[in-house]
Amino acid sequence: MVTESQTAEIIKRRTRNTTLVRLARFTGLRLVALVATVVVGVYLTILIANMGGYVDQIMRNDIRERISQQVAAMNVTHPMSLEARQQLTQQLIAQDVKRLGLDTPFAVRSGRFLINALQLKLGTALNMVSDHGSRSVESIILERLPATLLLMGTSELFLFFFSVFIALILSRKYGSIWDKIVVTLSPTSAAPPWFYGIFFILIFAAVLRLLPFGGLVESPPPANTFEYALSVLKHMILPASSLIISSLFLSIYNWRTFFLIYSSEDYVDMAKAKGLAARDIERRYILRPTLPTIITNFALLVITLWTGATITETVFLWPGLGRTLYRAIGLYDTPVIVGSTIIYAYLLAITVFILDFVYALVDPRVKVGGGN
Amino acid sequence: MKQKKLFLVVSLIIVASMILAACGTTPTAAPTTPPPAETTAAPTTATTEAPTPVATQTTRHGGWFDQVVFSVVSSDSVITQLQAGAIDIYTDALASSDLPAVKDAGLAYATASGLYYDILYNPAVFTDTNVLNPFTNRKIREATNWLYDRDYLNQEIFGGGSLAKFFAITTQFPDYADLAATARGLEAYYAYNPDKAKSIIATEMEGMGATLVGDKWQYKNKPVTLIFVVRNDSDKTRIPMGDYITKQLESVGFTVTEEYKTGSEASPIWIGSQPEEGLWSLYTAAWSATVLDRNQANIFQEMYLPDSAQGIPVFLANKPDPAFQKLGDDLYNSNFSTAQQRHDMMAEALKLSLQDSLQVFLIDGKAIIPYVNGLTVTADLAAGVQGAQIWPETLRRTGEEGGTLQWGTQDLFGDPYNPIAGSNWAYDQGAIRATQSGDFMADPYTGLYHPFRIESAVVVAQTGLPITKTENWVDLQFQDTIEVPTDAWVDWDATNQVFITAGDKFPNGLTAKRMTRYIYPANLFDTVKWHDGSSFSVADVVMGSIMTFDRSKPESAIYDAQSVPVFDSFMSAFKGIRIVSTSPLTVEYYTDTFQLDAENNIPLAIGWPTYSFGEAPWDVLAIANLAEANGELAYSVDKATANANNPIEQTSFIGGPSLDILNKYLTQAANESYIPYAPTMSQYITADEAKARYANLLAWYTEHGHFWVGTGPYFLDQVFLTEKSLTLGSFSDYPDLVNRWATYGAPKIADVALDGPAQVTIGQPATFNVTVSYEGNPYPATEINTVRYLVYDATNTIIESGEASNVTDGQYTVDLSAETTAKLAAGSNKLEVAVVPNVVSVPTFTSITFVTVP
Repeated sequence: MVTESQTAEIIKRRTRNTTLVRLARFTGLRLVALVATVVVGVYLTILIANMGGYVDQIMRNDIRERISQQVAAMNVTHPMSLEARQQLTQQLIAQDVKRLGLDTPFAVRSGRFLINALQLKLGTALNMVSDHGSRSVESIILERLPATLLLMGTSELFLFFFSVFIALILSRKYGSIWDKIVVTLSPTSAAPPWFYGIFFILIFAAVLRLLPFGGLVESPPPANTFEYALSVLKHMILPASSLIISSLFLSIYNWRTFFLIYSSEDYVDMAKAKGLAARDIERRYILRPTLPTIITNFALLVITLWTGATITETVFLWPGLGRTLYRAIGLYDTPVIVGSTIIYAYLLAITVFILDFVYALVDPRVKVGGGN
Repeated sequence: MKQKKLFLVVSLIIVASMILAACGTTPTAAPTTPPPAETTAAPTTATTEAPTPVATQTTRHGGWFDQVVFSVVSSDSVITQLQAGAIDIYTDALASSDLPAVKDAGLAYATASGLYYDILYNPAVFTDTNVLNPFTNRKIREATNWLYDRDYLNQEIFGGGSLAKFFAITTQFPDYADLAATARGLEAYYAYNPDKAKSIIATEMEGMGATLVGDKWQYKNKPVTLIFVVRNDSDKTRIPMGDYITKQLESVGFTVTEEYKTGSEASPIWIGSQPEEGLWSLYTAAWSATVLDRNQANIFQEMYLPDSAQGIPVFLANKPDPAFQKLGDDLYNSNFSTAQQRHDMMAEALKLSLQDSLQVFLIDGKAIIPYVNGLTVTADLAAGVQGAQIWPETLRRTGEEGGTLQWGTQDLFGDPYNPIAGSNWAYDQGAIRATQSGDFMADPYTGLYHPFRIESAVVVAQTGLPITKTENWVDLQFQDTIEVPTDAWVDWDATNQVFITAGDKFPNGLTAKRMTRYIYPANLFDTVKWHDGSSFSVADVVMGSIMTFDRSKPESAIYDAQSVPVFDSFMSAFKGIRIVSTSPLTVEYYTDTFQLDAENNIPLAIGWPTYSFGEAPWDVLAIANLAEANGELAYSVDKATANANNPIEQTSFIGGPSLDILNKYLTQAANESYIPYAPTMSQYITADEAKARYANLLAWYTEHGHFWVGTGPYFLDQVFLTEKSLTLGSFSDYPDLVNRWATYGAPKIADVALDGPAQVTIGQPATFNVTVSYEGNPYPATEINTVRYLVYDATNTIIESGEASNVTDGQYTVDLSAETTAKLAAGSNKLEVAVVPNVVSVPTFTSITFVTVP
């Protein structure tokens, strides 16, 4: 005979076991799906970056053209017989073909790229070097990361929190003059950051001469750390402002609209009718249910920092990852492209994976692996 | 309601202003207003506006500036930054289409050779016999010379800042100056004449079986369609150029399909495909000449003939006139014995190249190097400022010494800095160049070498070689046979680390086609210092010789397969080197190669320790070699990445992981008083000298944080890799005064005025006066190579050319005889004069019109 308490214990244990099994199954399936997504995504990147192998042909012709010019220039100062010149040209071409791995079929190389990338063996770049002269892809990427994080981190985090904060206020003051100003100015976000960047450079660097044209720091950089930091801040004002201004009003508008939708829910009206303080209503009845969305946006924003801001960094000569990736694409430097992509892919996959659990923590309505 | 409307209006205004602004040009874009007309009819006159330098009295050694700060600048904002004073000079150069903007901004500028543009035709008969390729026909290719208006292209696309181009040779290089009269005649003959082009093309097309239906050519009932690959990247000028060419070709009946492609997209087609496949008919090609080449005799073979060293299928498909083929090959192989013979062959080749016209050259582009007013800037005709060896010696603020120069460039640190196989990026070499000196100085305006660290030279050439000399510092002699002395070094034994002598390797004797003996001043080792304070020594020279060989020897600890092809090429002509004396240092160099100018027969791959990518003392190379021998670093990227599973770092003397490794070996070398290649080098270095060298190097590294040490007028002071900046400091121990090369501040381009009778009686003699000056002063006759004249009749045909008579400095006369004027019909004629100085390879042309009456 089983007692009532034993029955309850059994049910409880079964429920716990069922939950664990469900959780494990969900975790396993989710991981498999994410890994598969990463593999497919990275291999697609390899294929696209190499135009399905067509880049090999482009690179071979580029090598021939470059070496021919190089040998022609050598011939000016070191006259060579025609045979010697042709032989030298062929030898140098063969060397470059080998160095760039073009003597191995693309199918083999693409598989090698994928396997190495998945193991985070980023290898060496084909053409690019890090600022410190290293060809290690890891160095090339990591060297640019601080500058990108500084610029993107500062501007995007400011943008995020400021937008949410202002939007929350505006959602309470729907129809006010400030609300209307934000709504009116929101189309300004149609212009990309670099568009504002060019104007800012013209106004503040060229005309007013208050701020530098670009770069990370003045040339030569100050020896004193404090002055160096000040110089970096000064150089960051225009690019950061461009990034912020270009998205600010639309971002506020979006969040304000989002909060407005939640503010008009029946339970919020009920809370208001019950006479709850505005602050409590915001915290408990508006922010709480919107938390998953806010967290998702924030998490995705954080990993987006990794990609940098390609054109804005270029306009301001900011030594960030965006410029590096852009240059790598232009140079068909597959290891750098793949290196940058695989890290982003892993970050995205991990974030998506973690978010599934975070949703369950912040929103009681969500059940991990609950399905149907 | 009103408020809402107000917001609506404001929103619309904001959006509209942004759209309008986005549609406009960027604020720094160059205005497209045409430049003012040139004052003379001299299309090859350089537009350098730099003031003439005056050799000032000074006691200063090193560089003119105390500091030069290099920083990276976006090319889009160059003009704005120059105006704002953020930089003083931008050395990577702008396209000539930016010239109007530079002028409008009131900036000074110098010019250098930019890209040169042409139309490259596919000369192959296509595999598809239903498709006619008109460019298999030389006469059609030739006719297109009359179809394209080069002056129009220059004015409309290049803002008038470039030069019309008809020939493969570069318009501002010495060969063009030498052939100015011939070239001018051909340019007149091939001047824009679309009717003539249309007529010839029609005749030839009919001969090839095509028929003109309406206004379009057809072949086998299908339009004759040309696939025109137009580059849409680079400086963007090839898009409007391609559109213009298309319009002209369509005007004579061709159907043209333009395909805009980037360089990467185009190369698989025009380089990668077989011409017979017919994937393209013509291509907007562009080439560059980054070295002021005094001998372009090889260019006909290279640009037209099937045995072109370029080895691209399109050249192999060309079937040139056998006479042109032979002439091109003879010129490449220097099959001439006198300068006059070469001149005549080159003149003939110019003519035949236009008849062949595998490529129809259109524009000699100019690169614009803008700078703030008040600078004296020397720009090499080919290499501009950053590529000019002379820039560190001459760039200054006019009338001032000291101060700081802000140098703007498009990038920095493209590759690691090491002198053996390091960065070859033009922007990096611009900085590196300031840190080195060398045996000779290349004249920025003629390409002729002047003695820099050497004092004099003797060139002994095999009898019959077409070598001539211009300057007195070189003694040119000829011998029937030049024996290589038995004690000359001819190779390197990497195992035993000793040189192999000619006596050992060639017991039966060895001969060379040329020997150069170069002699350094007696006080060389007292006056020349390395930046770290060490005195220059003969060991540095010997180390340079060893490094030439050692890296290419499989037995060597620093063997690098990457170096072998170039080394093999070098060895195919190298015959030996011999240190004749160390006080004064005198070195003999034996080889089978030669240059036409005795002055330029200076060894480049051996001798002064200026390696391919920079200068270095033996002690720095010693520690770098140790790092490479131990597998921790490699000079070349090929070797550094050879083992894909375990790549190592490429040696960098200025930053990154290399520094710690080099420092480790510096400490080791200092502790051991290490002498590299001891079996040979210990004859030139003592242990104490080695110790002192390493101590100086360590002190240098401690102070500056890098291992880049040279002997140039500036030293590399600080390097900021991530910030993309570096600073150069003036080297006060530099042996030369700053004004040593000051007279090279600006090219001495002649101003030419032509005066004479407006009316000439047919059959009567006439005399015209030519005044040649420079900045208002008569141009010395000793600095003038030739003053040639050409007489054109009313049909623009040259009826006579000849040499003007020198009267005195700056004064010449052209005497037209009665027989000459008798050849002219009544009407308007033209006398043109081409003045070719010795000191700058830029001829000046001017002309006068006169009327002939019976």
